[in-house]
Amino acid sequence: MATRGRSGFGRSLPEQGLLLLAILVLLDGTVMTLEAEVSSETDTHEGKNNITKKLFPVLGIKYEEVSIPFEISLWVLLASLMKLGFHLIPRLSNVVPESCLLITVGLLVGGILKLTRDEVPPVLSDQIFFLCLLPPIILDAGYFLPIRPFVENIGTILMFAVVGTLWNAFFVGGLIYAVCQLAQDNYSKINLSDIGILPCLLFGSIISAVDPVAVLAVFEEIHINELLHILVFGESLLNDAVTVVLYHLFEEFMDSGSMSAVDAMLGLISFLIVALGGVLVGAFYGILAAFTSRFTSRTRVIEPLFVFLYSYMAYLSAEVFHLSGIMSLIACGAVMRPYVEANISHKSHTTIKYFLKMWSSVSETLIFIFLGVATVEGEHQWDWIFITATLILCLVARVIGVVGLTFIINHFRIVKLTTKDQFIIAYGGLRGAIAFSLGFILHSDHKKIFLTAIITVIFFTVFVQGMTIKPLVELLAVKKKQETKRSINEEIHTRFLDHLLTGIEDVCGHYGHHHWKNKLNRFNKRYVKKMLIAGDRYREPQLIAFYHKLEMKQAIQMVESGGGSKLNSSFPSTVSMQNLQPKVQSPTSAQPAERALPQLTKGREEEIRQILRTNLQKTRQRLQSYNRHTLVVDPDEEGFDNLILKKRRMMEMDYKLKKMTNYLSVPRPQGSPTMSRARMASDSQAYVKPGAKGVPTIQIDLASPQSPESVRLLNEVRQDQGLTMSLPSSSSRAYKTGGKDDSRDQKLLRCLSDPGPSADEDEDDDEDEPIPT
Amino acid sequence: MGSSRSSLSLVPDGQQLLQETGFSAAHLLRLHERFRFLDKHGRGHLRSEDLEAELSLNPIGDRIVGAFFQPGQEAVDFPSFVRVLAHFRPMEKNRTCAAVQPERANSRNRKLKFAFQLYDRDRDGKISRTELLQVLREMLGLQVTEEQLQSIAERGIQEADLDRDDAICFDEFRKSLEKVNIDQKMSVRFLE
Repeated sequence: MATRGRSGFGRSLPEQGLLLLAILVLLDGTVMTLEAEVSSETDTHEGKNNITKKLFPVLGIKYEEVSIPFEISLWVLLASLMKLGFHLIPRLSNVVPESCLLITVGLLVGGILKLTRDEVPPVLSDQIFFLCLLPPIILDAGYFLPIRPFVENIGTILMFAVVGTLWNAFFVGGLIYAVCQLAQDNYSKINLSDIGILPCLLFGSIISAVDPVAVLAVFEEIHINELLHILVFGESLLNDAVTVVLYHLFEEFMDSGSMSAVDAMLGLISFLIVALGGVLVGAFYGILAAFTSRFTSRTRVIEPLFVFLYSYMAYLSAEVFHLSGIMSLIACGAVMRPYVEANISHKSHTTIKYFLKMWSSVSETLIFIFLGVATVEGEHQWDWIFITATLILCLVARVIGVVGLTFIINHFRIVKLTTKDQFIIAYGGLRGAIAFSLGFILHSDHKKIFLTAIITVIFFTVFVQGMTIKPLVELLAVKKKQETKRSINEEIHTRFLDHLLTGIEDVCGHYGHHHWKNKLNRFNKRYVKKMLIAGDRYREPQLIAFYHKLEMKQAIQMVESGGGSKLNSSFPSTVSMQNLQPKVQSPTSAQPAERALPQLTKGREEEIRQILRTNLQKTRQRLQSYNRHTLVVDPDEEGFDNLILKKRRMMEMDYKLKKMTNYLSVPRPQGSPTMSRARMASDSQAYVKPGAKGVPTIQIDLASPQSPESVRLLNEVRQDQGLTMSLPSSSSRAYKTGGKDDSRDQKLLRCLSDPGPSADEDEDDDEDEPIPT
Repeated sequence: MGSSRSSLSLVPDGQQLLQETGFSAAHLLRLHERFRFLDKHGRGHLRSEDLEAELSLNPIGDRIVGAFFQPGQEAVDFPSFVRVLAHFRPMEKNRTCAAVQPERANSRNRKLKFAFQLYDRDRDGKISRTELLQVLREMLGLQVTEEQLQSIAERGIQEADLDRDDAICFDEFRKSLEKVNIDQKMSVRFLE
């Protein structure tokens, strides 16, 4: 809660937020109304001016030229401001998931529009939805799909997606038909028994699909463990193929009025074509994108554009052939990602990540608002029996489906799904805007009642299930997402175990999981990577890339923690790799001569230096103005301990390395042009101590460069009292073991150790990981 | 059960192995067939060449082969073969028996111990830097330079080594893998 004195009006922040929201809603409504009036005004003006000579218009209004972009921007602005507003009110966003609030806002705006204009713009037309709003969300999901858990659980996911959705569709469709036939006429306004079996099945197929947008929106906030998340989410993505086929199948035969067994067979074949075709189209575009990114080293600026364009083309191409656009998009993103990430620059990667997040976030917000608006707009027909029956049947079908399938699946799984897991999976089967849009484009006689029922189910799942899932997760003590990062040990051991398991499978003569995975990896390494990855990077194994990432992060971390220490452990590896004279033949050394040195490409080296340099330049400001958004050091003492230990180790290692002068054939610091460039570029804020042999070092000047006394180096204290600063010694040994305990600096450092919003870091690690091979 | 019991008698120490390892009779027979298939010369035991033929492409193949053989031995008979493979059975869920029976071969601890021994070839109870380096060299091979390997090995030791003796003992090894789902990573479904 903000203090009263802060804002000039004496109101607290949440209240301000609410006020802002209310104002915005009203504003939007009035602008829309105004627009309608203005456009009619200008028409009449035109008529009059034909007769008399008109004076030069100094100021005029020409609204209709910009009306469409203007309206679109206004809607997007509204959506973004809503999102902003909700996060200003922390209590509200903890209790109610964002999707509910957004739907409510949509209802309000829709209500206002209806009151003022008597008609509401059809904002959730299927064109807008399927072509503009849905793709960003799906691309975001597909590009950052965690491949390893997805593939490990692919069998389960497919079972749920295909069999589960089919079961849902037929169960709901069939039973609702039965209910309609049995319903007595005097209870309902319309004749329910008019609804034939095929429209019922069509309705069932629309309503049975779990919606990825809703699942994402709700599950994102509850931070559930990875397995459950990927199961429900994967199911919501893959059931698109089933939905598409069923929808088209039943729609086709609704006109003819009957369906035969041959049609069912054709439907099955169609399903395979839709699913596999979608995936193939996506994979094709993904490979194209990867191939293109191989050549973008000179035009880094448009790299993100290729990713977006190829993905969108994949989606559109699939839609042209009535294939599953969602699966195509997912396949495209997942296929292109490892190769593209190896090729593009760090900045492009960040750009892609943030653009995708931004677009998908805005899309999601808009979808929910439009859902609210469309609810107000649509013509409804309320029938108690039909709607309650639908609702109950949907819930029951989902529960039975999940329980039944889990029973079968658990025979094939190593890690079984417990009852708790099953409950969450069943409970997380939310319906959303896709169902609504599909219902919207129906050409049925009973469209109104179907639409009403669909909206009711959507509202129920989003509001009731969405709001209660968080407390239920807490109540059932379901395992949450693990927040910590992977260590290099985990990575090494995991790969070791992979090899081990492959070997054991070979010994047993069993062509299992690992065998095929190994084969795929080998194929990937030998042929695919060579074609799609630029330069020498294709030879770089997964572990090395991971290691680089860790080292970079650690370097940044150390610099940000006010580190004036030698960036040692990062440099031996990077420096040795920018070996300018390649090691041709060294008969004296023990290393085999055929080991080709993977040269650290200029691009990569440039990036590392960029990052370090920008952090160096910012360090001065950071120390003076405490900024909690940019610091990453651990707050607890143990974290500090580790940091100190690491630094000590690196120091010791450096001493050892200094002894082994022939160990690294690194040119001396003065001779290395890249190192001296790094020195010069960082101007007065870094200088290299002359006379340092062996490993070049960079010592960072944190204070202003006016006088040599103000040069401070970070130092370690043996008794682990925390990081302290001390004056440098003039001798060649750059460290003193004892330091003066500057309590002010220590306090500052402890302040700096607040990690701030850590969501960013977690995201980084989870999503940055390319396909583990 | 009658037919399988009679063929089970062909398997040396069949009953005892059933109890010890927890395999079912069908599995045991399948493994026995596989054993006889690998044993190309019909000697009744396997030598390292027989196993190496299967593991030629595997970067850590020779370690895996070495794990089957007791130190100093050159031949592995069927019971030892089965005992090693028993480590890779998926773990059971029933915890009630855990306290009563001796620790089963496929418990998490035993699995980790097996993996640890693959690293620790000289069996001194610790993974030293050189041993870790050897493993990395085998896995990453010719694709990286010696310096990179050294750095990775160094970092690995730094991260895991809590008692600062410059080597990873079994407890540290276990701790560094506590977040990994060992059951999934070290089980072959075939052997369930």
